[in-house]
Order: sequence, then structure tokens, then C-alpha cells
Amino acid sequence: MSETVLLRATDVVKNFTLRSKQSGSRIIVQAVAGVSLEVRRGETLGIVGESGCGKSTLARCLVQLMPVTSGHVEFNGVEITGLSRRQLRPHRRQMQLVFQDPYSSLNPRRRVGDIVAEPLRINKYGDDEVVQTRVDELLRIVGLDPASVNRYPHEFSGGQRQRIGIARALALNPSLVVADEPVSALDVSVQAQVLNLMADLQSELSLTYLFIAHDLGVVRHVSDRVGVMYLGEIVELGDAETLYERPLHPYTEALLSVVPELDDGTHPVRERIVLTGDVPNPSDKPSGCPFHPRCPVAQDRCTTEKPVLVELAPGRSVACHFPRNVA
Amino acid sequence: MSDARVSTPLLEVEDLRVSFNTREGLVQAVDGLSISVGRKEVVGIVGESGSGKSVAMYSLLGLVRDANVSISGHVRYEGREILGLPDDEMRSIRGRDVAMIFQDPMTALTPVYTVGWQIVEQIRAHEDVTKAQAHARAVELLGEVGIPDPARRVHLYPHEFSGGMRQRVVIAMALSCHPKLLIADEPTTALDVTTQAQILELLRRLQATYDSSIVLITHDMGVISEMADRVVVMYAGRPVEVGGRRDVIRTPRHPYTWGLLGAVPRVESKRTRLVTIPGVAVSPLDLPPGCAFAPRCAYRFEMCDQRPALRGDDGHLDACWLDPTRKVEIRRRVTETGVVS
Repeated sequence: MSETVLLRATDVVKNFTLRSKQSGSRIIVQAVAGVSLEVRRGETLGIVGESGCGKSTLARCLVQLMPVTSGHVEFNGVEITGLSRRQLRPHRRQMQLVFQDPYSSLNPRRRVGDIVAEPLRINKYGDDEVVQTRVDELLRIVGLDPASVNRYPHEFSGGQRQRIGIARALALNPSLVVADEPVSALDVSVQAQVLNLMADLQSELSLTYLFIAHDLGVVRHVSDRVGVMYLGEIVELGDAETLYERPLHPYTEALLSVVPELDDGTHPVRERIVLTGDVPNPSDKPSGCPFHPRCPVAQDRCTTEKPVLVELAPGRSVACHFPRNVA
Repeated sequence: MSDARVSTPLLEVEDLRVSFNTREGLVQAVDGLSISVGRKEVVGIVGESGSGKSVAMYSLLGLVRDANVSISGHVRYEGREILGLPDDEMRSIRGRDVAMIFQDPMTALTPVYTVGWQIVEQIRAHEDVTKAQAHARAVELLGEVGIPDPARRVHLYPHEFSGGMRQRVVIAMALSCHPKLLIADEPTTALDVTTQAQILELLRRLQATYDSSIVLITHDMGVISEMADRVVVMYAGRPVEVGGRRDVIRTPRHPYTWGLLGAVPRVESKRTRLVTIPGVAVSPLDLPPGCAFAPRCAYRFEMCDQRPALRGDDGHLDACWLDPTRKVEIRRRVTETGVVS
């Protein structure tokens, strides 16, 4: 594995087994259906998709918060799938999570200082004084007053709570931070503060981010490269700039066209492509290309033959038989 | 329709004030809101959580029943004062003349009855029709809001629909009596972007078909930009800027609007840094006597200790003491540098 790749996923699959309400038989829901990707050192890889597309499940599989059904995940050149909890621990230190809901991801009965100190204590970072100094430092770098260590989460606003979550994630100097919808619960002005903070921290601490979100604007803003997910698969992957300028997959194209944009005269208004219908149930995926029932440009071939993710241009991959915007 | 009726706005709100007496003190949720909604007009009310945008709309429809609330001001619907009307008179306006769509469609539907039953009940509450007639209307309405196979689906329960389909059911219910005014409170916030596009398109189409007016409450400037004819920007229960959509989005005048517009990450262009508004929203328990935004404003000066009135020209108003020419200058700098300072 090259020096530049921090995390590599190869054909990661995650199945959940449910029991059918009608017949009582077992149904398999494939939440992640064979995802391969690389996260490079120092970059932000954004994963975008609608609810139920499997983006959060993918994130949890990549950091081994959930066992994968099949496939491989290498982190820092080491295969981490199938490791025991104890074997995982040194790697866990290197990859930390920031969660969506700053209200439910912080224990309401613990003081902020203890919440941030917990990973330090578990990993025997040092004696109380060393831990205390580190907690102060962490609170300062996320823009909170170190004097607030004795306060409880409910005394903070949503944005401040997300800062506490970020401080906790950074406690052990991780190289990878996986952020699952870190700003979607926040008001827009607060969201901007947290996004700017995350950008500052990335350059100061040379962090690598895997940034999961449904908001296309947010993903564009933070990401170097972007993967678009639909029904458990990555349907398009590429550098953010060109993916947003010239999307290859009809799903990406439609998704971008319907984001309500500010008509402030700085950009031409895009033509809207409104998709019909809903995302199909992942337990009953369409044949062929999973997107074909909603695709405005689908042809016969799409109903039977499933397209694979291929590199169409350097750094730009798409899973589509009839990619768009190709010169 | 006579000329007099055309010229009176459909809904006129004048100096609406809503406060709650709580254990911690008096919470001034809405502090002097005046808006008018013309016929066939879409008015967008935008603001962050706690800005009072929802409470304002709920209270003018008599939906705030808290014993500790006090509401004052004037609300005229078709020229008739409706604030403080008795419950039964209010009920005949709500649902028939004015309908509401809520953010979470599940809270607007009861889970224990079929959607058809709920629409039929709504129609029969306001109109003297038979059950069979009302049922036929329900099927027709579901078809109209884009629910496939409405004759079968009318017999399904809310949980058997997806989020987007449920919101369509709520819209069908709201439209069942052809209301003249639709109040939509964050109607697409809980939905995915492709579903949001479907719902916004549906609202646009229905508004054109029925000539209804819409008050759209949202935190999303993008949605405002696509839907609204006029915009009211609210902060801490007060309107800080009011104007036509183009005016407010292209030449915003209030520093809060600048921050709100600049903080939105755009699909169209990568910016190195988002504009941020320092600090957090002011507590409604403790509103400053002057401009409510002053504590977070980079341009405050002595005047800001007094409360600014909404003023302006050509229907584009803002509540800010800054000199208009100075504002144009600052705004240009903000757009160029991306920094509010």
C-alpha cells in the first residue's frame, strides 16, 4: 500500500437480516453493497447520499464499529477486519468519530471535563495532571473556555456541544476523523462556525477526514474528493470540483440540479431534473442498475446488466452504462 | 371579484406580539411583527431556530393555547379581525379558508385511522357532503398530489407511506377545502433533497391551479430563493428585513441577512471560508433594549442601543441604524472577502 493511502476499503459488504412481517421468513437487507474506496492522508473524502443509502453504515464498517459481512479494510497498511477488540485498540486511537446529534452523543450526567478526558483515561494517557492539561488544551483548540470543564452538556448550545464532541474525538491525536453528519442538526450560522473550525483543525493538526453528509453544499465545501452513494453502492467518485461541475452519473446530475440555490446573480440557474418516485426498498433492489427505475436516461440494457464502477478519466469513476457530460 | 377585495391583502398582521410567562421570566417570542400577504402571493419567513417564525403563525391562527401566553396586535383576514375570535368561529376559518402543513407529517396524521378516513373527516367538518362524495374527493385529491394508485392507497394507514408520500397526504388534506391561504411550516425540512424538489414543485403547481397564497416558514435561504415572492427575515422575534425576493437575496441590507446568506455552503462554488456570525442567538428571556442583533453585530455603534424601526423604500425595509450608503460599501466588501468584519 502506498504511503499516501491512510484507509483502503475493498469490496465492503454489510448485510442485515430482518424477519418479514407477513411470512416470518428471513430477508436480507444489503445496506452496503460492495464498496471500494481509498482515503488519502490529509484529504477530506466526502460521502454524500440520501437517507437510507448506507452512508452511515459504511462509515461504521470502515472504523470497525460494526463487523463487515465481507470485504477488507486496511488502515495504515494493516488489515483491520476480523481483529479482536483488544487487537483493534491501538488502531482505534488513530480513528475517531464525530456524531450527528450533539444532544444524544454526550452523556448528560457527566461533566464536560470527564467526557473529553475519557478517551485519555482509557488509553492511559498519563496521570491526572497530564490529563487535565490536555483537556484544557483540547477545549481551547475547539474554541471553548477551559473553565467550563465542570459544566454539564445541557448547559451548552448545540454548536458548543458539537465542539465538545470534536474535542473528545481529537483527544488522542487521531490521524483519521470520521464525521457522520456533524453539522446537520445545527442552525446555518452555527453550522458555518463548526465547518470553519473543522477546516482550521485539519490544517493545524494535519487530520484526514471522512465526512458523511446529505447536504450537497456542505459536502462540496469541505471535500477534496466526493463519493456519491445510492442504495448501498458508490455510483460516482471523483474530485469535488469536477464532480460538481460535470457530474457523470445521472443520479448525481439530478441530485445537484434540485438543490435549492440562492439566485443571487452569481451563477446561472440550473435546469431542474426532478426524479419521480422514491428510493426503492434496499431489501428489494431493482435488477440491473439500481437506479434504472428512476433514471431519466435509462435504456433496456440498464434493466438487466449492472454497471460497475470504472475509472472514466483520471480520478473520476462512475457506475453507469451511459455516463453524462462526457466530452 | 370587486376592486375593493382585490386591493385588500388576504392576510394583514400588524404589530403582533406574543409572550410567554415562564418560571424564568417573560419570554418575548414575537416582538412586533407586521406582514401582509397578498392574493396569490408566496411570502417566505426565514430565520434560525427560536426566531419566532413558527410561534407567530401558530398564534395568529389561535393554535397557541398555553395559559401563560399573551398575544396582542391585529390580524385581519380579508379585512376582518380574527385575533381573539372565539374557538368555534376560528375553527370555521382554519381548515376551510386557511390550512396548515407542518414539518413532520407524522404529527399531522393520526396513526390509527386510514388516510382516507382522515381526509373525509376534514372535508365533512367544513362542507355538507355525503360520505361517498367526500371519499371520491379524497381519492381525487390523493391523485392530484401525485400519489400513484390513489383508489387503493386511500385505504392505507400513514405508516404505510414513505416520508415524502406522507407529506403529500398532508398537503392533500390541507387542500381538501381549497383554502385561500396555506401556511407551510418547514414543509420539506425532514425530507431528502430529491423528495424536497418534488414537494416544492407540487406546491408551486397547486398554488398556480388554485390561486392560493402561501406563507412559507423555513430556515433555508435556498428554498426561499426558489419559492417566495416576498421575504421576511426574522431575528429574536423581530423582523429585521422585509422585501421582494430579489432585493433581499441580491442586495440584502441587514447585517444579519448578510451573515445568513454568507453562511450557506454553496453547491455552485467552493469558498475557502464561510461567513460566520459570532456568538449564539440572543435569549428571548433577555432581549436587549436596543437592536436585538447588536451583541453579535460587527458594525454596532452608539445608535444601536436604541431599537431601530423598519424603514426603507419601495417595499424593501430593514431595521438597522447603519447609513444606507455605508451599508452598500460594507456589503460589497463582505461579498468580495467573505468576511463580516
